[in-house]
Amino acid sequence: MNSKNMMYILKRILLALLTVWVVITITFFVMHAVPGGPFLGEKAMSEATVKALEAKYGMDKPLMTQYFTYLKDIVTRFDFGPSIKQRGRMVIDVIADGMKTSVKLGLIAAFLALITGVVLGAVAALRRNRIIDKVIMVITTAFVSMPSFIMGVLLLIAFVIRLKWLPGNGATSGGLVLPIITLSLYPMAYITRLTRSSMLDVLGQDYIRTARAKGVSKWKIIFGHAMKNSLIPVITYFGPMIAYIVTGSIVVEQIFAVPGIGRFFVSSIINRDYPMIMGTTIILAILIVVMNMVSDILYKVVDPRIKFD
Amino acid sequence: MKKLLAVLLTLAMVVTLFAACGDKKPAATASEINVCIASEPDTIDPALNSAVDGATLIAHLFSGLAKWAQDDKGALVIVPDAAEELTEGVKNDDGTVTYTYKLRDGLTWSDGQPLTAQDFVFSWNRSCSLELGADYGYMLEIVDGYADTQDESKPDAKLNVKAIDEKTLEVTLTTDVPYWNELLAFPSYFPVREDVVANESWATDPATYVCNGAYKMASWAHNSVITLEKNENYYDADKVTMDKINFYLSDDANNMLANFKNGDWKLIDDVPTNEIATLKAEYPDEFKVVGQIGTYYVCWNINEDILPAGADVEDPEAAREEIRNAITLLFDRNYIVDEIAQGGQVPASSFVAMGMTDADGKTEFYKNAGSSGAFDGYYDVAANAVKANFDKAVEVLKKYYDYDEATGKFTNFPSLTYLYNTSEGHKAIGEYLQSALDNIGISMKLENQEWNTFLNTRKQGDYSIARNGWLADYNDPISFLDMWTSISGNNDVQFGKGANKDLKHYSLDLTPYGYDVKVENGTWAETYDVLISTIKTCTDTDKRFQMMHLAEDMLMATGCLCPLYYYTDLFMISKDVKGFFSNPLGYKYFMYTTVEA
Repeated sequence: MNSKNMMYILKRILLALLTVWVVITITFFVMHAVPGGPFLGEKAMSEATVKALEAKYGMDKPLMTQYFTYLKDIVTRFDFGPSIKQRGRMVIDVIADGMKTSVKLGLIAAFLALITGVVLGAVAALRRNRIIDKVIMVITTAFVSMPSFIMGVLLLIAFVIRLKWLPGNGATSGGLVLPIITLSLYPMAYITRLTRSSMLDVLGQDYIRTARAKGVSKWKIIFGHAMKNSLIPVITYFGPMIAYIVTGSIVVEQIFAVPGIGRFFVSSIINRDYPMIMGTTIILAILIVVMNMVSDILYKVVDPRIKFD
Repeated sequence: MKKLLAVLLTLAMVVTLFAACGDKKPAATASEINVCIASEPDTIDPALNSAVDGATLIAHLFSGLAKWAQDDKGALVIVPDAAEELTEGVKNDDGTVTYTYKLRDGLTWSDGQPLTAQDFVFSWNRSCSLELGADYGYMLEIVDGYADTQDESKPDAKLNVKAIDEKTLEVTLTTDVPYWNELLAFPSYFPVREDVVANESWATDPATYVCNGAYKMASWAHNSVITLEKNENYYDADKVTMDKINFYLSDDANNMLANFKNGDWKLIDDVPTNEIATLKAEYPDEFKVVGQIGTYYVCWNINEDILPAGADVEDPEAAREEIRNAITLLFDRNYIVDEIAQGGQVPASSFVAMGMTDADGKTEFYKNAGSSGAFDGYYDVAANAVKANFDKAVEVLKKYYDYDEATGKFTNFPSLTYLYNTSEGHKAIGEYLQSALDNIGISMKLENQEWNTFLNTRKQGDYSIARNGWLADYNDPISFLDMWTSISGNNDVQFGKGANKDLKHYSLDLTPYGYDVKVENGTWAETYDVLISTIKTCTDTDKRFQMMHLAEDMLMATGCLCPLYYYTDLFMISKDVKGFFSNPLGYKYFMYTTVEA
């Protein structure tokens, strides 16, 4: 890797850090500007209790002081502080617990979408306008247009309630099968269509015709020449796909009671659990920024025609 | 051929991936039960918990001086648990009452260490300490010395509770209350051990979770399942029939239902609202509706002026009271319960909920409320009374507002805004109220706010009418009444606050009850606050209950509280489960259950 590439990557990392800082700052101040607070409930606490709790969580200090203390803890120790609502637990532990499942769910779903999407897309392209192509196109159109919360509920009714083949609880063995399928269908369908069109495009290129004319075997053309080039658009889709899977999992985890991180995005805001709101937002921001960066760099690796600048 | 191979290979990979996910599922055998009452509890520290689901877990894990149980006839009773017996209190000269309890022999913690009276002393002081800041710290309000513990300038203040020796506990209450034994069965009064809770995260990990109840925590997979196993160190372990309870953690009612329908979960504590009607028909033996001590109501902001512009009335507050009370009569509570809420709720005619008993401990408090002999409560909620109520309301409102006989509508009622927290159910009720008022020409806008914002707005009194609800913490009407004193943090109506603070409009005469209190045209603080503090120190049960009726009369006379229905607790339980019971606070008990395989 030459120095130009190194410079590019360094620039991207700095930009990513800046993005995360902006996210932290905006979230911190918006969160405190929203009415309500973590110590409000249907049954009110006494003023003395609220005061004692505010002192405990450092919320009695001026907002700017709180902000700089928070930044300092994040930068120097990566310390998100304790959760206010889940007493006795640290935000980082809660997130790590949820991430274990969410990452497993997300990675398998992404992998499944990628493999089946590319295979189906290639099959459709190679069998263009035949019956198999048409079947694949109809199915993928359906999956692309169906939101995950509908798909999830349909699968739940079919496989959990009617057929009783699979458990409806994400915490049990086999319980991740349905959420993985639900989560992967949309990106799978999208990748299928991407692969099909780019494969068709590539197959019409001069260098493929040249290869054919030289007598290269059909499979070598497909896997050696066409496949690699037709994957470029798929790689650009990688970043958005991860974002989709992360946000999509919020709904899917709810439907299948998956013990992931998704629910905390919403519950922490409802509860005004300030450290938890910050923690989940920062982790999500880092995830998306990093994935987009990786996607951009991979893009360059696969297609040397693309220049870093 | 190669293509087929590629597809097969891909499939094989995917299948292997699936096989890798998930852990071993605990199979529900006869000595094991899978249930789901809610999602991950915020805390299962007995002192910090304020949620019903947390309390259910804690009731299985801890043993206080007393506990809820079912007697031979299936009736709910409070029985001694860690205490040998629930003794009578001894009155002191200063009006305080001292109780002395003997702990059972050989009580130990789940780790085998002996449990002593000192553990209770420590725990009760911890429960109400400002340092801990528990939602339910006020549950110890009745214990002598509590007020000092809430004073920041007295950091060393302690409750008047002592360990006489290892097995004897002595506690002094500011006054005797009939619900004391019930308080002893409340999580805030459960013992925890000082060295255990010194670790602030003790209650989040089975390894550090030391308890003394019928069960101990075997495992906690956060956000998925908490498994409790029978605690052989519990003094009454022989009677505990269920060896293992898996509390699955989910907050999605549809997901719970799916797991109930396919037989995995034997009890679910929530059902999707829009499925209630179907479930009642499909699962008549498994769909359960039990009473819960709580009231769903609408509250007015007392400082909201609803008189027409330029109205010339002698006593504006008296007029507003009459108007608000008239509006209370406009709603058909049977329609709300049968067509909207659909969960077996009971139309409410009083603020103190159904399930609260009167002085004799048997009669419903609400049946003695109000002054009418013809119906229970403050107005008639019978279906056939709707028309009469409506006519009466219109007659009253005609005194203050212009009425167009032709259209049957009032023309100068100021427009109102109904505030509720975002939820389909609350919205549907809001829409009904809106249409009922629109019928007579009163326009009411609906405004929804997200939960926490809503709480804030309502508490600040920044609204005209709002949805409200209250669930009691113990079976005594005072838990519905002391929230309306002018200094209470739950006083959403703003009684004795803002413009109402200096309004000399209320009267109180306690001379019939033997107190030298007679106020005419006093402020809310001079009357209602005095009444509540008198009730709290009154030791004569009959008089105490009469004064509580008086307090509710005062509240209802303001018209600021418009009760709609009494809450119910809905859940589904499999027919295979025997020996289950729940208490009026909504706690579910599985220790004495058996599951027919």
